Amino acid sequence: MTSMEKRLQKELQAMTKDPPAGVSVNTNSLSSSLSEWIVDIEGAPSTLYEGERFQLGFKFTSRYPFDSPQVMFIGPNIPVHPHVYSNGHICLSILTEDWSPALSVQSVCLSIVSMLSSCKEKKLPPDNAIYVRTCSKDPKKTRWWYHDNSV
Amino acid sequence: MESNIEETTPSFDPSKNYDEDTLAQQREIEKEIAATQSMVSQLYTFDEIVEEYSQEDAIYRQKIEDLKSRFKNLRKTRGDGNCFYRAFGFAYLETLLSNGKEYKRFFDIAQKSKDELVSLGFPQFTLEDFHDTFMDVVKMVEKPGTTDALLEAFNDGGLSDYFVVYLRLLVSGHLQQNADLYVYFIDGERTVKEFCSQEVEPMGKESDHIHIVSLTKALQVPICVEYMDREGDKCNSFTFNPFEGSADAADATPVFTLLYRPGHYDILYPL
Repeated sequence: MTSMEKRLQKELQAMTKDPPAGVSVNTNSLSSSLSEWIVDIEGAPSTLYEGERFQLGFKFTSRYPFDSPQVMFIGPNIPVHPHVYSNGHICLSILTEDWSPALSVQSVCLSIVSMLSSCKEKKLPPDNAIYVRTCSKDPKKTRWWYHDNSV
Repeated sequence: MESNIEETTPSFDPSKNYDEDTLAQQREIEKEIAATQSMVSQLYTFDEIVEEYSQEDAIYRQKIEDLKSRFKNLRKTRGDGNCFYRAFGFAYLETLLSNGKEYKRFFDIAQKSKDELVSLGFPQFTLEDFHDTFMDVVKMVEKPGTTDALLEAFNDGGLSDYFVVYLRLLVSGHLQQNADLYVYFIDGERTVKEFCSQEVEPMGKESDHIHIVSLTKALQVPICVEYMDREGDKCNSFTFNPFEGSADAADATPVFTLLYRPGHYDILYPL
Protein backbone atom coordinates (compact mmCIF):
# COMPACT_ATOMS: atom_id res chain seq x y z
CA MET A 1 0.00 0.00 0.00
CA THR A 2 1.34 3.45 -0.85
CA SER A 3 1.60 6.09 1.86
CA MET A 4 -1.28 7.97 0.21
CA GLU A 5 -3.51 4.88 0.40
CA LYS A 6 -2.48 4.16 3.98
CA ARG A 7 -3.29 7.69 5.03
CA LEU A 8 -6.66 7.72 3.20
CA GLN A 9 -7.54 4.31 4.63
CA LYS A 10 -7.05 5.79 8.12
CA GLU A 11 -9.10 8.85 7.28
CA LEU A 12 -11.91 6.75 5.87
CA GLN A 13 -12.02 4.65 9.01
CA ALA A 14 -12.22 7.72 11.24
CA MET A 15 -14.89 9.32 9.04
CA THR A 16 -17.15 6.25 8.97
CA LYS A 17 -16.69 5.37 12.63
CA ASP A 18 -17.16 8.84 14.01
CA PRO A 19 -18.58 11.15 11.32
CA PRO A 20 -18.93 14.85 12.15
CA ALA A 21 -22.49 16.22 12.19
CA GLY A 22 -23.98 16.64 8.73
CA VAL A 23 -21.07 14.94 6.92
CA SER A 24 -21.02 11.38 5.54
CA VAL A 25 -18.76 9.61 3.08
CA ASN A 26 -20.64 8.04 0.21
CA THR A 27 -18.93 4.65 0.43
CA ASN A 28 -20.32 3.47 -2.94
CA SER A 29 -18.37 6.23 -4.63
CA LEU A 30 -14.91 5.15 -3.48
CA SER A 31 -12.48 3.97 -6.13
CA SER A 32 -10.30 1.02 -5.17
CA SER A 33 -7.16 3.12 -4.77
CA LEU A 34 -9.22 5.61 -2.72
CA SER A 35 -8.11 8.40 -5.06
CA GLU A 36 -11.69 9.65 -5.52
CA TRP A 37 -14.37 10.16 -2.89
CA ILE A 38 -17.84 11.66 -2.78
CA VAL A 39 -18.90 13.16 0.53
CA ASP A 40 -22.52 14.06 1.27
CA ILE A 41 -23.04 17.14 3.38
CA GLU A 42 -26.14 18.75 4.83
CA GLY A 43 -26.78 22.42 5.47
CA ALA A 44 -26.64 22.96 9.25
CA PRO A 45 -29.85 23.65 11.21
CA SER A 46 -30.84 27.34 11.60
CA THR A 47 -28.68 28.46 8.67
CA LEU A 48 -29.67 29.57 5.16
CA TYR A 49 -28.91 26.07 3.91
CA GLU A 50 -30.92 24.12 6.50
CA GLY A 51 -32.39 20.97 5.01
CA GLU A 52 -30.37 21.22 1.75
CA ARG A 53 -28.13 18.37 0.68
CA PHE A 54 -24.93 18.80 -1.28
CA GLN A 55 -22.19 16.59 -2.66
CA LEU A 56 -18.47 17.26 -2.53
CA GLY A 57 -16.14 15.50 -4.94
CA PHE A 58 -12.62 14.83 -3.62
CA LYS A 59 -9.66 13.80 -5.81
CA PHE A 60 -6.28 12.88 -4.37
CA THR A 61 -2.93 12.59 -6.11
CA SER A 62 -0.26 10.09 -5.11
CA ARG A 63 1.47 12.98 -3.29
CA TYR A 64 -1.41 13.37 -0.84
CA PRO A 65 -1.22 14.56 1.98
CA PHE A 66 1.60 16.80 0.69
CA ASP A 67 -0.50 17.81 -2.32
CA SER A 68 -3.86 19.24 -1.33
CA PRO A 69 -6.92 17.33 -2.49
CA GLN A 70 -8.98 18.74 -5.36
CA VAL A 71 -12.36 19.54 -3.81
CA MET A 72 -15.51 20.88 -5.50
CA PHE A 73 -19.27 20.72 -5.28
CA ILE A 74 -20.71 18.23 -7.75
CA GLY A 75 -24.14 16.88 -8.63
CA PRO A 76 -27.48 18.61 -9.17
CA ASN A 77 -27.42 20.94 -6.16
CA ILE A 78 -24.59 23.50 -6.00
CA PRO A 79 -25.03 25.90 -3.06
CA VAL A 80 -25.59 29.55 -3.98
CA HIS A 81 -22.86 31.21 -1.90
CA PRO A 82 -20.47 34.17 -2.44
CA HIS A 83 -17.46 31.77 -2.41
CA VAL A 84 -18.96 28.97 -4.50
CA TYR A 85 -19.02 29.32 -8.29
CA SER A 86 -21.96 27.87 -10.19
CA ASN A 87 -19.66 25.19 -11.67
CA GLY A 88 -18.93 23.90 -8.15
CA HIS A 89 -15.49 25.50 -7.65
CA ILE A 90 -14.89 26.73 -4.11
CA CYS A 91 -12.77 29.72 -3.09
CA LEU A 92 -11.30 28.54 0.22
CA SER A 93 -7.66 29.11 1.14
CA ILE A 94 -7.04 25.73 2.83
CA LEU A 95 -7.73 24.04 -0.53
CA THR A 96 -4.64 25.61 -2.09
CA GLU A 97 -2.29 28.09 -0.44
CA ASP A 98 -2.99 27.29 3.18
CA TRP A 99 -3.24 23.53 2.77
CA SER A 100 -1.20 21.63 5.36
CA PRO A 101 -0.51 17.88 5.43
CA ALA A 102 -1.92 17.88 8.96
CA LEU A 103 -5.37 18.78 7.60
CA SER A 104 -7.72 16.03 6.42
CA VAL A 105 -10.90 15.23 4.50
CA GLN A 106 -12.73 15.75 7.75
CA SER A 107 -11.26 19.18 8.46
CA VAL A 108 -11.95 20.27 4.87
CA CYS A 109 -15.60 19.16 5.16
CA LEU A 110 -16.00 20.96 8.46
CA SER A 111 -14.52 24.17 7.02
CA ILE A 112 -16.92 24.00 4.08
CA VAL A 113 -19.96 23.37 6.32
CA SER A 114 -18.89 26.29 8.50
CA MET A 115 -18.35 28.49 5.42
CA LEU A 116 -21.95 27.77 4.40
CA SER A 117 -23.23 28.29 7.94
CA SER A 118 -21.78 31.77 8.31
CA CYS A 119 -23.37 33.01 5.05
CA LYS A 120 -25.87 35.85 5.47
CA GLU A 121 -27.17 36.18 1.94
CA LYS A 122 -27.41 33.56 -0.80
CA LYS A 123 -25.72 35.08 -3.81
CA LEU A 124 -23.21 34.05 -6.45
CA PRO A 125 -19.62 35.36 -6.45
CA PRO A 126 -19.55 38.75 -8.23
CA ASP A 127 -17.25 37.41 -10.98
CA ASN A 128 -19.17 34.16 -11.47
CA ALA A 129 -20.02 34.66 -15.16
CA ILE A 130 -16.49 35.37 -16.41
CA TYR A 131 -14.86 32.85 -14.07
CA VAL A 132 -17.09 29.97 -15.11
CA ARG A 133 -16.53 30.80 -18.77
CA THR A 134 -12.74 31.00 -18.61
CA CYS A 135 -11.54 28.80 -15.74
CA SER A 136 -9.76 25.45 -15.93
CA LYS A 137 -11.75 22.31 -15.13
CA ASP A 138 -9.47 21.79 -12.16
CA PRO A 139 -10.08 24.40 -9.40
CA LYS A 140 -6.53 23.84 -8.16
CA LYS A 141 -5.36 25.50 -11.38
CA THR A 142 -6.98 28.77 -10.39
CA ARG A 143 -4.90 31.38 -8.60
CA TRP A 144 -7.41 32.33 -5.98
CA TRP A 145 -7.44 35.71 -4.32
CA TYR A 146 -8.65 35.26 -0.78
CA HIS A 147 -10.04 38.64 0.03
CA ASP A 148 -12.98 38.16 2.31
CA ASN A 149 -12.78 36.02 5.41
CA SER A 150 -16.07 37.13 6.89
CA VAL A 151 -18.30 34.78 4.90
CA MET B 1 5.91 53.60 -33.22
CA GLU B 2 2.78 52.65 -31.36
CA SER B 3 1.76 50.00 -33.82
CA ASN B 4 5.25 48.54 -33.59
CA ILE B 5 4.97 48.07 -29.86
CA GLU B 6 1.64 46.38 -30.26
CA GLU B 7 3.10 43.95 -32.73
CA THR B 8 6.06 42.94 -30.61
CA THR B 9 4.50 42.94 -27.13
CA PRO B 10 2.18 40.03 -26.42
CA SER B 11 -1.05 41.74 -25.54
CA PHE B 12 -3.03 41.02 -22.43
CA ASP B 13 -6.45 39.64 -23.25
CA PRO B 14 -8.79 40.35 -20.33
CA SER B 15 -11.24 37.70 -21.47
CA LYS B 16 -8.58 34.99 -21.23
CA ASN B 17 -7.67 33.19 -18.01
CA TYR B 18 -3.89 33.06 -17.43
CA ASP B 19 -3.97 31.20 -14.11
CA GLU B 20 -3.22 27.78 -15.54
CA ASP B 21 -0.13 29.05 -17.41
CA THR B 22 1.16 30.93 -14.38
CA LEU B 23 0.75 27.95 -12.08
CA ALA B 24 2.30 25.61 -14.63
CA GLN B 25 5.32 27.90 -14.71
CA GLN B 26 5.55 27.83 -10.90
CA ARG B 27 5.43 24.01 -10.93
CA GLU B 28 8.26 24.01 -13.53
CA ILE B 29 10.40 26.16 -11.24
CA GLU B 30 9.71 23.85 -8.29
CA LYS B 31 10.62 20.79 -10.38
CA GLU B 32 13.84 22.44 -11.49
CA ILE B 33 14.77 23.17 -7.86
CA ALA B 34 13.96 19.60 -6.80
CA ALA B 35 16.05 18.20 -9.66
CA THR B 36 19.11 20.33 -9.02
CA GLN B 37 19.31 20.76 -5.22
CA SER B 38 19.50 18.00 -2.61
CA MET B 39 17.26 18.48 0.38
CA VAL B 40 20.44 18.42 2.48
CA SER B 41 23.77 18.50 0.63
CA GLN B 42 27.29 17.19 1.11
CA LEU B 43 29.80 19.45 2.82
CA TYR B 44 31.14 22.39 0.82
CA THR B 45 34.30 24.39 1.49
CA PHE B 46 34.20 28.18 1.39
CA ASP B 47 36.54 28.16 -1.60
CA GLU B 48 33.71 26.41 -3.45
CA ILE B 49 31.04 28.75 -2.06
CA VAL B 50 32.93 31.92 -3.00
CA GLU B 51 32.71 30.87 -6.66
CA GLU B 52 28.94 31.43 -6.50
CA TYR B 53 29.63 35.15 -6.34
CA SER B 54 31.04 37.19 -9.20
CA GLN B 55 34.40 38.95 -8.85
CA GLU B 56 32.56 42.27 -8.76
CA ASP B 57 30.52 41.22 -5.77
CA ALA B 58 33.11 42.48 -3.29
CA ILE B 59 30.83 42.68 -0.26
CA TYR B 60 29.67 39.08 -0.40
CA ARG B 61 33.12 37.77 -1.28
CA GLN B 62 34.52 39.58 1.73
CA LYS B 63 31.84 38.11 3.96
CA ILE B 64 32.62 34.62 2.69
CA GLU B 65 36.25 35.30 3.72
CA ASP B 66 34.94 36.28 7.16
CA LEU B 67 33.05 32.99 7.41
CA LYS B 68 36.11 31.10 6.21
CA SER B 69 38.12 32.52 9.11
CA ARG B 70 35.67 31.02 11.60
CA PHE B 71 34.01 28.05 9.90
CA LYS B 72 35.31 25.01 8.12
CA ASN B 73 32.38 23.87 5.98
CA LEU B 74 28.90 24.62 4.84
CA ARG B 75 26.06 22.23 4.10
CA LYS B 76 23.32 23.49 1.80
CA THR B 77 19.61 22.84 2.05
CA ARG B 78 17.03 22.90 -0.75
CA GLY B 79 15.43 26.28 -1.41
CA ASP B 80 11.86 25.09 -1.19
CA GLY B 81 10.58 27.21 1.68
CA ASN B 82 11.31 24.43 4.19
CA CYS B 83 15.04 25.16 4.49
CA PHE B 84 14.99 26.44 8.07
CA TYR B 85 13.24 23.32 9.36
CA ARG B 86 15.43 20.95 7.36
CA ALA B 87 18.61 22.76 8.38
CA PHE B 88 17.55 22.80 12.03
CA GLY B 89 16.51 19.13 11.97
CA PHE B 90 19.64 17.83 10.32
CA ALA B 91 22.12 20.01 12.22
CA TYR B 92 20.54 19.23 15.57
CA LEU B 93 20.25 15.46 15.10
CA GLU B 94 23.84 15.42 13.86
CA THR B 95 25.00 16.88 17.19
CA LEU B 96 23.00 14.24 19.08
CA LEU B 97 25.06 11.49 17.43
CA SER B 98 27.84 12.35 19.86
CA ASN B 99 25.79 13.54 22.82
CA GLY B 100 23.83 10.75 24.50
CA LYS B 101 22.75 12.88 27.44
CA GLU B 102 21.19 15.54 25.25
CA TYR B 103 19.61 12.78 23.16
CA LYS B 104 17.73 11.48 26.20
CA ARG B 105 16.48 14.95 27.12
CA PHE B 106 15.33 15.59 23.56
CA PHE B 107 13.78 12.13 23.16
CA ASP B 108 11.53 12.75 26.17
CA ILE B 109 10.39 16.16 24.89
CA ALA B 110 9.74 14.73 21.44
CA GLN B 111 7.88 11.72 22.83
CA LYS B 112 5.60 13.84 25.01
CA SER B 113 4.97 16.49 22.38
CA LYS B 114 2.34 14.45 20.57
CA ASP B 115 -0.12 14.47 23.46
CA GLU B 116 0.43 18.19 23.94
CA LEU B 117 -0.41 18.84 20.29
CA VAL B 118 -3.49 16.61 20.50
CA SER B 119 -4.64 18.58 23.54
CA LEU B 120 -4.34 21.76 21.46
CA GLY B 121 -6.86 20.36 19.02
CA PHE B 122 -4.67 18.83 16.28
CA PRO B 123 -6.44 15.75 14.95
CA GLN B 124 -4.86 12.67 16.46
CA PHE B 125 -4.88 10.43 13.41
CA THR B 126 -3.09 12.86 11.11
CA LEU B 127 -0.67 13.80 13.87
CA GLU B 128 0.21 10.19 14.64
CA ASP B 129 1.65 9.50 11.18
CA PHE B 130 3.93 12.50 11.37
CA HIS B 131 4.95 11.83 14.96
CA ASP B 132 5.73 8.16 14.25
CA THR B 133 7.98 9.04 11.32
CA PHE B 134 9.55 11.90 13.27
CA MET B 135 10.45 9.52 16.12
CA ASP B 136 11.81 6.94 13.64
CA VAL B 137 14.23 9.57 12.34
CA VAL B 138 15.10 10.74 15.87
CA LYS B 139 15.93 7.15 16.90
CA MET B 140 18.50 6.99 14.13
CA VAL B 141 20.85 9.08 16.31
CA GLU B 142 20.31 7.17 19.56
CA LYS B 143 23.67 5.39 19.14
CA PRO B 144 26.88 7.10 18.11
CA GLY B 145 27.41 6.74 14.39
CA THR B 146 28.21 8.51 11.15
CA THR B 147 26.15 11.13 9.40
CA ASP B 148 25.77 8.99 6.25
CA ALA B 149 22.50 7.34 7.28
CA LEU B 150 21.12 10.62 8.56
CA LEU B 151 22.01 12.38 5.33
CA GLU B 152 20.26 9.65 3.38
CA ALA B 153 17.14 9.96 5.57
CA PHE B 154 17.04 13.72 5.12
CA ASN B 155 17.13 13.26 1.36
CA ASP B 156 14.29 10.75 1.37
CA GLY B 157 11.06 12.72 0.89
CA GLY B 158 9.04 10.11 2.77
CA LEU B 159 11.10 10.79 5.89
CA SER B 160 12.46 14.30 5.39
CA ASP B 161 9.14 15.95 4.53
CA TYR B 162 7.34 14.15 7.36
CA PHE B 163 10.05 15.39 9.72
CA VAL B 164 9.56 18.96 8.45
CA VAL B 165 5.79 18.74 8.92
CA TYR B 166 6.24 17.68 12.53
CA LEU B 167 8.66 20.52 13.27
CA ARG B 168 6.10 22.90 11.77
CA LEU B 169 3.44 21.48 14.07
CA LEU B 170 5.75 21.93 17.07
CA VAL B 171 6.22 25.60 16.14
CA SER B 172 2.48 26.03 15.70
CA GLY B 173 1.81 24.31 19.02
CA HIS B 174 4.29 26.50 20.89
CA LEU B 175 2.91 29.71 19.35
CA GLN B 176 -0.66 28.73 20.21
CA GLN B 177 0.24 27.70 23.75
CA ASN B 178 1.82 31.12 24.27
CA ALA B 179 -0.59 33.09 22.09
CA ASP B 180 -0.90 35.95 24.60
CA LEU B 181 2.85 36.60 24.21
CA TYR B 182 3.22 36.17 20.47
CA VAL B 183 0.08 37.98 19.36
CA TYR B 184 2.01 41.30 19.44
CA PHE B 185 4.62 40.01 16.98
CA ILE B 186 2.21 39.00 14.25
CA ASP B 187 1.55 41.36 11.38
CA GLY B 188 -1.84 41.89 9.84
CA GLU B 189 -5.11 41.60 11.66
CA ARG B 190 -4.62 37.96 12.44
CA THR B 191 -4.99 35.77 15.49
CA VAL B 192 -2.08 33.50 16.43
CA LYS B 193 -4.13 30.53 15.27
CA GLU B 194 -4.75 32.13 11.87
CA PHE B 195 -1.05 32.98 11.57
CA CYS B 196 -0.17 29.34 12.32
CA SER B 197 -2.55 27.93 9.74
CA GLN B 198 -1.35 30.40 7.10
CA GLU B 199 2.37 30.84 7.79
CA VAL B 200 3.54 27.85 9.84
CA GLU B 201 1.61 24.66 9.10
CA PRO B 202 1.53 24.70 5.27
CA MET B 203 4.65 23.20 3.64
CA GLY B 204 6.87 25.64 1.80
CA LYS B 205 5.97 28.69 3.88
CA GLU B 206 9.22 30.43 4.81
CA SER B 207 10.43 31.01 8.33
CA ASP B 208 10.95 34.30 10.04
CA HIS B 209 12.41 35.34 13.38
CA ILE B 210 9.22 34.30 15.19
CA HIS B 211 9.39 30.75 13.82
CA ILE B 212 12.98 30.35 15.00
CA VAL B 213 12.27 31.77 18.46
CA SER B 214 9.35 29.41 18.74
CA LEU B 215 11.16 26.22 17.66
CA THR B 216 14.21 26.89 19.86
CA LYS B 217 11.89 27.49 22.81
CA ALA B 218 9.65 24.49 22.10
CA LEU B 219 12.68 22.17 22.06
CA GLN B 220 14.88 24.19 24.46
CA VAL B 221 17.74 24.23 22.00
CA PRO B 222 19.90 27.38 21.76
CA ILE B 223 21.20 28.07 18.26
CA CYS B 224 23.24 30.73 16.51
CA VAL B 225 22.45 32.31 13.14
CA GLU B 226 25.04 34.16 11.07
CA TYR B 227 23.34 36.82 8.97
CA MET B 228 24.96 37.63 5.66
CA ASP B 229 23.56 40.68 3.90
CA ARG B 230 24.93 43.76 2.15
CA GLU B 231 25.41 45.79 5.35
CA GLY B 232 28.84 46.09 7.03
CA ASP B 233 31.92 43.98 6.24
CA LYS B 234 31.34 41.00 8.55
CA CYS B 235 28.42 38.68 9.11
CA ASN B 236 26.26 39.50 12.13
CA SER B 237 25.69 36.62 14.46
CA PHE B 238 22.64 36.30 16.64
CA THR B 239 22.04 33.71 19.34
CA PHE B 240 18.53 32.44 19.90
CA ASN B 241 18.55 31.68 23.59
CA PRO B 242 15.46 29.82 24.76
CA PHE B 243 16.53 30.19 28.40
CA GLU B 244 16.65 33.98 28.27
CA GLY B 245 15.23 35.46 31.43
CA SER B 246 15.60 32.21 33.39
CA ALA B 247 18.28 31.00 35.81
CA ASP B 248 19.84 28.81 33.07
CA ALA B 249 20.34 31.76 30.76
CA ALA B 250 24.10 31.75 31.16
CA ASP B 251 24.76 28.25 29.84
CA ALA B 252 23.02 28.81 26.55
CA THR B 253 25.92 27.81 24.33
CA PRO B 254 24.53 27.47 20.81
CA VAL B 255 24.33 23.81 19.79
CA PHE B 256 24.89 24.58 16.11
CA THR B 257 25.08 27.53 13.72
CA LEU B 258 23.04 28.31 10.64
CA LEU B 259 23.92 30.74 7.86
CA TYR B 260 21.18 33.08 6.70
CA ARG B 261 21.46 34.58 3.24
CA PRO B 262 18.38 36.59 2.24
CA GLY B 263 15.51 34.10 2.02
CA HIS B 264 17.56 31.01 2.81
CA TYR B 265 19.17 28.98 5.63
CA ASP B 266 22.17 26.63 5.37
CA ILE B 267 24.26 24.84 8.00
CA LEU B 268 27.71 26.03 9.16
CA TYR B 269 30.45 23.86 10.67
CA PRO B 270 33.02 25.60 12.93
CA LEU B 271 36.78 25.22 12.49
